[in-house]
Amino acid sequence: MNAVVLAVALPLLGAFLTPSLARLSLPLGRLFGPGLLAFCLWLLWGIARALGDATAGVALGGFAPPLGIAFHLDRLALLFALAVPAMVLALWPWGGRPREWSLTLVLAAAATGLALSGDLFNLYVFYELLAVASYGLIAANQRPAAQAAALRYLLLSAAGSALALLGIALVYTQTGTLNLAQLALLAPVSLDGPLGLAAFALLLLGIGVKAEAFPVNTWVPEVYATAPSRLAGLLAGLVSKLAVLVIVRLLLVVFQRPEATQLMLVLGVLGIAWGELAAWRARDLSRQLAWSSVGQLGIVFVAFSLPGETGVLAGLAVALHHLLVKPALFLLARHWNGALEGLRGAARRAPLAGALFALFALSLVGVPPLPGFWAKFVTLSGLFAQPGPLCSLAAVVILTATLVEAAYLFRTLTLLFGPGGEEPRMAPHGALDLGTATAFAGLLLAGVIWLQPLTGDLHGIARQAVDMDTYVDTDLPTPRP
Amino acid sequence: MRNLTTLLFAAGLGFLLLVLAAGLPYGHPPMLVGQGILQQAPATTGAANIVTSVVLAYRGLDTLGELSILFAAAAGAGLVLGGHRRRRRPDPDGGFILIAGADLMFPLLLVVGLYVILHGHLTPGGGFQGGVILAAAFFLPLLGRPREALDHTAISWIEGLAGAAFIAIGLWALFARGDFLAPMLGKGVLGQLFSAGTLPLLYAAVGLKVGAELSGLLADLAATEARDP
Repeated sequence: MNAVVLAVALPLLGAFLTPSLARLSLPLGRLFGPGLLAFCLWLLWGIARALGDATAGVALGGFAPPLGIAFHLDRLALLFALAVPAMVLALWPWGGRPREWSLTLVLAAAATGLALSGDLFNLYVFYELLAVASYGLIAANQRPAAQAAALRYLLLSAAGSALALLGIALVYTQTGTLNLAQLALLAPVSLDGPLGLAAFALLLLGIGVKAEAFPVNTWVPEVYATAPSRLAGLLAGLVSKLAVLVIVRLLLVVFQRPEATQLMLVLGVLGIAWGELAAWRARDLSRQLAWSSVGQLGIVFVAFSLPGETGVLAGLAVALHHLLVKPALFLLARHWNGALEGLRGAARRAPLAGALFALFALSLVGVPPLPGFWAKFVTLSGLFAQPGPLCSLAAVVILTATLVEAAYLFRTLTLLFGPGGEEPRMAPHGALDLGTATAFAGLLLAGVIWLQPLTGDLHGIARQAVDMDTYVDTDLPTPRP
Repeated sequence: MRNLTTLLFAAGLGFLLLVLAAGLPYGHPPMLVGQGILQQAPATTGAANIVTSVVLAYRGLDTLGELSILFAAAAGAGLVLGGHRRRRRPDPDGGFILIAGADLMFPLLLVVGLYVILHGHLTPGGGFQGGVILAAAFFLPLLGRPREALDHTAISWIEGLAGAAFIAIGLWALFARGDFLAPMLGKGVLGQLFSAGTLPLLYAAVGLKVGAELSGLLADLAATEARDP
């Protein structure tokens, strides 16, 4: 189990060496990173198979957890840890410069660390590492619009990091520990007051910058519209989900109180309304997809705010669906940039790309039998089962947002498949982009066929994730008084 | 109007933070983990400087993360600067005082930087601080004689290999003892230069990496043409 740390250390090793290796031989530098990621994927798969339904704690450096850093391995952590190298490999920037490969490897290492870590400050370090790597990747694009978007993202994200750090400092002054399992033991007493709630709000806002949470998501449309499509897919698909995972872990392990879940629910509802309405008004495809991503992340927030196993199950379903669909949509939309009106008939000239786009768009809206329907259905039935006006309001907002989503996506599809359009001035889709999108579509359709076993697995993951006694016993074998 | 709103918002946020700060237990921090580390750190790691045992042993993975953050920041800055025009004509020489001063300071800064790095496990200081001093040592001659650019290939190799050395020490511990970044090579006598096992080696890697990264970044900045205002 201790070998799991290789999944963080090896991509970093690759990142440090890639620029020098690329000076020696470009093909070597080009293949080094993907090779390491493939090894990490294999390693994590083996660990996940060996672990099965059990959980395990890894004490880094051999220092027992409350004093040292702990990694917490359970099915939820390993699911996302496995998703990281897989997604980064699928969206690897083959055409980039050596420094971009380096930064992508740093991104992968940080994301894996976020999935596995069981220490509050260690989570912050990996979060900051993820942030700094993404600044560099976004700013690598030299167009002025991209640089302006990168600067706005940098400022907002740096402010978010400062807020999150303040939240961690509050937690530490109240409890004197940073280990999540020990915090779980101490929180009911030490973090009960308004200071504890303030700490959660600060962490939620700070980490919410990457998770596209409501008030701190103004960077989203410009960055996604100007970044290369593979990077946009990586940020919208993978990075936002890992930020959500961190927030959910904190919510489940440390801040188990109704005010915290309500805060998350309210932010989620506002995010849905804001994102879907902005997407409806958007005049080009990249911005439409970017705002729709904000709306979808809002649904993820609402789903995870449901109590207990239902919440984790619904949140996982929406998050994993979006993880698969949004990067593929960005890959397809790359060649259809510019105003929406200019896309008249574009799908007729690229039938495969058009068909894939339609499939992903339909799943995003939630048309049965595609997995998107099931994800929204689980969330909505969970919301209606809850008492209280806030949950009913959230359900109504999600239903209305689905209508809005359907309206603008069908409008886009009508334009794409409709008649008209001048000469085909757009370049055809690259074989690599199209191939990646087809693979994602295959996974989506596999989700339709194996929905039953998939649901069973997600149930198991959710049951394990909400079991706090096991979490504490795994990371703190001998709880200190 | 916009400025006024911003001011009101900032004032409100400041007030909220002050209210929060008023509720904090000043002077009596709960020393749960802190006490544990204070009690057992010198015996466990053999480093006289407890900060170093926290930075490199108890929270070694965090330090690897910090090192990578610095690396990512430098690589990102390199990507941004890479698109700007290179200077056609370097600045003229810095004059007698700057050149003579740089010549005098260079060996001094080099010695101080290396001293701070190598004594990180004994006295305040360490890889990050010493690395910055090393970077200053290499940047000062560049100010005096802007024509003599630093060798970018060499810097890139030092940077890469120093980072790789940190991880390699961690991997060695993983394969030999089963724990990534566990201290190796025994503890030695507390307070001696050769003590605390692999911690001084880790700090040497940190120092070289930080020094190479910052001097590379400064050289990149010096070689980039400023945009017309």
